[in-house]
Amino acid sequence: MMPISTTGVLAEFYEPAEALAAAVKVRDAGWTHFDFLTPFPVHGLDDAMGQKRSWIPWATAALALGGILFAQGLQNYVMVYDWPMNFGGKPHAAWPSFVPVTFEAMVFWAALGSAAIAIIAGKRDTVPQPPPDVPTGATVDRFVLWISATDPKWQAEGAQQFARSLGAGNVRLINGGADV
Amino acid sequence: MTRHEASPYATVMDDSQLTGRPIVLKGAGPYGGDLEVAEPLVTGGKTWADVDRDICMHAEQFPTKRWWIAFSVALAFLGLLVFALITLFYAGMGVTGVNQPVGWGSFIINFVFWIGIGHAGTLISAVLFLFRQQWRTGINRAAEAMTLFAVACAGIFPVIHLGRPWFAYWLVPYPNARGPLWINFNSPLAWDIFAISTYGLVSLTFWYVGLLPDLATVRDRATHPWRKAIYNALSFGWNGSHRAWRHYESAYMVLAALATPLVFSVHTIVSFDFATSVIPGWHTTIFPPYFVIGAIFSGFAMVITLMTFMRGYFGMKHYITINHMELMAKILMLTGMLVGFAYSTEFFMAWYSGSEWEGFIFRNRAFGPYWWAYAIMFTCNAIVPQIFWFKSMRRHTWVLFVVSILVNVGMWFERYVIVVTSLHRDYLPSSWGMYALTRWDYAILLGSFGLFFTLFLLFVRFLPVVAMSEVKGVMDPRVARSAGPSPASSGATLQEV
Repeated sequence: MMPISTTGVLAEFYEPAEALAAAVKVRDAGWTHFDFLTPFPVHGLDDAMGQKRSWIPWATAALALGGILFAQGLQNYVMVYDWPMNFGGKPHAAWPSFVPVTFEAMVFWAALGSAAIAIIAGKRDTVPQPPPDVPTGATVDRFVLWISATDPKWQAEGAQQFARSLGAGNVRLINGGADV
Repeated sequence: MTRHEASPYATVMDDSQLTGRPIVLKGAGPYGGDLEVAEPLVTGGKTWADVDRDICMHAEQFPTKRWWIAFSVALAFLGLLVFALITLFYAGMGVTGVNQPVGWGSFIINFVFWIGIGHAGTLISAVLFLFRQQWRTGINRAAEAMTLFAVACAGIFPVIHLGRPWFAYWLVPYPNARGPLWINFNSPLAWDIFAISTYGLVSLTFWYVGLLPDLATVRDRATHPWRKAIYNALSFGWNGSHRAWRHYESAYMVLAALATPLVFSVHTIVSFDFATSVIPGWHTTIFPPYFVIGAIFSGFAMVITLMTFMRGYFGMKHYITINHMELMAKILMLTGMLVGFAYSTEFFMAWYSGSEWEGFIFRNRAFGPYWWAYAIMFTCNAIVPQIFWFKSMRRHTWVLFVVSILVNVGMWFERYVIVVTSLHRDYLPSSWGMYALTRWDYAILLGSFGLFFTLFLLFVRFLPVVAMSEVKGVMDPRVARSAGPSPASSGATLQEV
């Protein structure tokens, strides 16, 4: 699922502000297959990395519409077509009483679908990631720049030099899934 | 002073130094005036690495004796629930107190009670998120877990109230060999199925999405390969990639936006169970907002109860500070007054409507044979929280704890009053009657607390009880960073690396 690159450079930053400043330079230097691994979302980092807004809300809107159509379809089919019953002379297609179920179905489809799509998108709509067995510290307190060897600009020596020039600490070349 | 230096969380403070008032920095404002900044949300000068250590510790070490004692007690009550349910299924509904004319008894009371408690978690995670209330980060994980467990407890009651719970699946509309016999979509009881199941599953999704980065943290701290593999699978291999955070944050925002109306819809639909009937005392338009505000009220009370334990026994005082507790006390007081306002409005409308039945029911509620239930309800919900007008009371752990318990007692009796007093004296005095809980009603009520606390204790044992990745985001980097050259000198050291 998630593209893995076995070769690349990891470089550490220690504060969100440092990562933000570095991301702008990486982006402006023309790198494309790079990423930042961070313990929490850094506001503005997607912009600094040159990423567009996430498209997840569009998926949510589509799913919400699907939920509405499903609930309306089900209720009208059941109450009007398949099993029409007379409840106190009220109309079969009593739309006000279909509102609660329609609302719940909309939220249900949109919420569960958006969460699933966001998790999948995080894996697929991305660049080749560092090997999972290399400890980065990004889930603790490091803001780690990753430059993948799949980048068209890639040069092992050049990428390390570049990372150091950004002021990064602990610049490591990862080769074949291991530190070199 | 740069923007970074004026960060509201800049000061290292200890718990005892917190005042609940802003820190005034003389002459630090942008135009030379005073600058007021909020007190830090995390005290004790914690670093980001400390957060992981302090919070994962409980899930990593062998459980303490205190945990085992609490777990044994909770399990004993869960056993009571199982025993009582087996008895109920074997003997039938006759063992409970429901009869003519009170056909809705403790099961419906408990259902509404638990669903109400389940409101605070998603309110904290969704509504406070949309309002950018950063103090939510310390309490949202545990509050959301509380929501899930409360919904699980609530879910039992409508099913056992059916009398023939083995036919509960008939409530789900699916093509079947019974006709197909469909549910009646005009019925609020059918809407309830959708409302409760949607609320439970969306809350679970919201909670789990919030957990993903923290599960990855637990995985990276794990030493045993199985533990690593399990937490890796649970976190879907999360590695902190910002390209994943981008979609994650968007989805989290969308979930909050969807969960916000959902929170208000659930108890609204529960109140429809009552409000769409033609029973005096139930058939009122005030019910949806009245139920929702009562639910938030009782949910926050339960959050305060649980957070008191987490501060005291799990050493979370640096993350759930007394300032957090004070803010919750303020919400408790506000919602308590709204609930009191609803009680008064009901009485006013009973008189103003000129409806004889409505007037009788409300006189009967307050002064009839169940006056004591009404008195407990009114005292605990509308009067007791008034103590929080005093700042010293809002910041006093024991006062908070006692009030939170009293509020939940009061909210249980609110549902008791609504369910029982409207039914026990209906239009014909010849069919009046009284209702009392039997020992099996009490056993199932106490047992549901056993289920709730068993699940909660398992949660504190296996999962991070505070949203670590969110707490890290509201800490001041200058205090929280633990390694690397200091920001001022980073320019000089870059060649040495």
